[in-house]
Amino acid sequence: MATPEVTASPGLALPPLTEEDTVRSWDRSRVHRARRHSKRWYLLWLLVGPGILAMLGENDGPSMIAYASDGAQYGLGFFVPFIAVLFAMAFVCQEMCMRIGAVTHRGYGELVLQRFGRLWGWFGAGDLTLTNLVTLVGEFVSIRVGLAYFHLGSGVAVALGLALVLFTLSGGRYWRWERIVLGMALFNGLFLLAAILVKPHVGAIVSSFDFTPFPGGSFNTLLLLLASTIGATVTPWMIFFQQSASADKGMTPDDVKHGRYDTAIGAVLAAIFGIGALIAGAALLTHNGAGIQGFAGAGFPRALAHVAGGAAGTVFALGLIEAGAVAILTISASTAYAAGECVGVSHSFNSSPRDALVFYAANVGVALLAAAVILIPGAPLLSIALNANVLATVLLPVSLVFMVMLANDKGLMGSWVNRRSTNVIGITVIAFVGLCGAAYGIDSFLLAVHLIGS
Amino acid sequence: MNTDASVMHDAHPSSPVHEQDAQARERSQDELIMDLERDQIVAATSRPVPRATLSSRATAGLWALRVFVVLVSLMVIYTFIDQLH
Repeated sequence: MATPEVTASPGLALPPLTEEDTVRSWDRSRVHRARRHSKRWYLLWLLVGPGILAMLGENDGPSMIAYASDGAQYGLGFFVPFIAVLFAMAFVCQEMCMRIGAVTHRGYGELVLQRFGRLWGWFGAGDLTLTNLVTLVGEFVSIRVGLAYFHLGSGVAVALGLALVLFTLSGGRYWRWERIVLGMALFNGLFLLAAILVKPHVGAIVSSFDFTPFPGGSFNTLLLLLASTIGATVTPWMIFFQQSASADKGMTPDDVKHGRYDTAIGAVLAAIFGIGALIAGAALLTHNGAGIQGFAGAGFPRALAHVAGGAAGTVFALGLIEAGAVAILTISASTAYAAGECVGVSHSFNSSPRDALVFYAANVGVALLAAAVILIPGAPLLSIALNANVLATVLLPVSLVFMVMLANDKGLMGSWVNRRSTNVIGITVIAFVGLCGAAYGIDSFLLAVHLIGS
Repeated sequence: MNTDASVMHDAHPSSPVHEQDAQARERSQDELIMDLERDQIVAATSRPVPRATLSSRATAGLWALRVFVVLVSLMVIYTFIDQLH
């Protein structure tokens, strides 16, 4: 690694620059030039990325299937406004992560570990690894479901996912990785196209904002839907990812305003595309949710093709492939950031694989492990994919509590600490998520051990 | 940076070419470092932040949350395994 000692002016010793610093300074020089010359749109273009990727990355395969399943079983009422509210909640959480990353230039795992001790840091990393691994299995399953529509099997899904991870890691630069994944993430809009292709009734969509009372079903089903829909919107990996990516991108307090735009654009796009999947799924409502049971095969897109035409099925299948592929890249990256930060070694896309071995090995390793699971004959892939969001919801409150504590830490954040209103919203989100996750976990357990009846 | 370094090795340390390269390299490094905030440089971020002092109530609250979350996670995992059967 090149680590030359440099001096800006005689007598003033500057710290040694690494290859990571050099690459980051190229990106920063473009930001400074754009700001100096008041190129507002170019500046926005340079600074968007982590927020959009976190939000669209969370519109992953299992999440889109969850939205579509909600639509197929219950229609649009309740869920359209609920998804919009959840992404507003996600914005509040992700804005905090971005701000902490931009102000401290450090990732979430690193800060928790250093500020609160190794035990809490490793607990957080452990939670993240568990939920990421389970979610990544779900991503490979969703790619497999999408490919099955085109008569392609698990082997192709695994090869495609791993090839993408290796390709995006090959550049040795954060900017290149971010732009490739951003380009892919825009295809999340396929779910909106699928919604248009099913020719929904516009009046039904508008009237769904009346916030219809929750549809019928057992108390446990209600809790499952709440927990899985929350887990489809806010998750631990997003917190780790956006803070670390904001630091890796080189964002500074001057960029916080644009970081907010980035996060807001991501939240709005993700909500629109998520509602698109819900609307597409709702086309199956009159067919008793046909296709949900066929999740392990190409069931959902096929059912949609049967009901709304081949184009809708094809677009939905392509959307599932895209959603799984983008999430594999972002979730693997969040695992890699957490591993590098907790071990205390280089953790940046701007470092070469030789200099950041743990970071790159964790990135590829977690994807390989998840890929291996879906190749196991008879593995309960459907159950794993559907439970991934619930597990994320249950483990989320701890990550959120530390995030709010960091965002209120005057020693770290200075004048950038949370405002009172942000704290009120943040604490409400934590209470809501914790309550829904815990209620589902306890109720399901009591049902499973027959202590209560369904 | 590596290219600059290789050129430097080819020239004699006291030659004019070497001095020009060294100056250019130093200037370029100065420009590079000016584009970064001082606390953004890897050497600065590698230094750990000081540990926060938590009150005993905050520590107890964090432990209670952690134990609660682990228990609920175990319930979810048990239910997941039970549903497989």
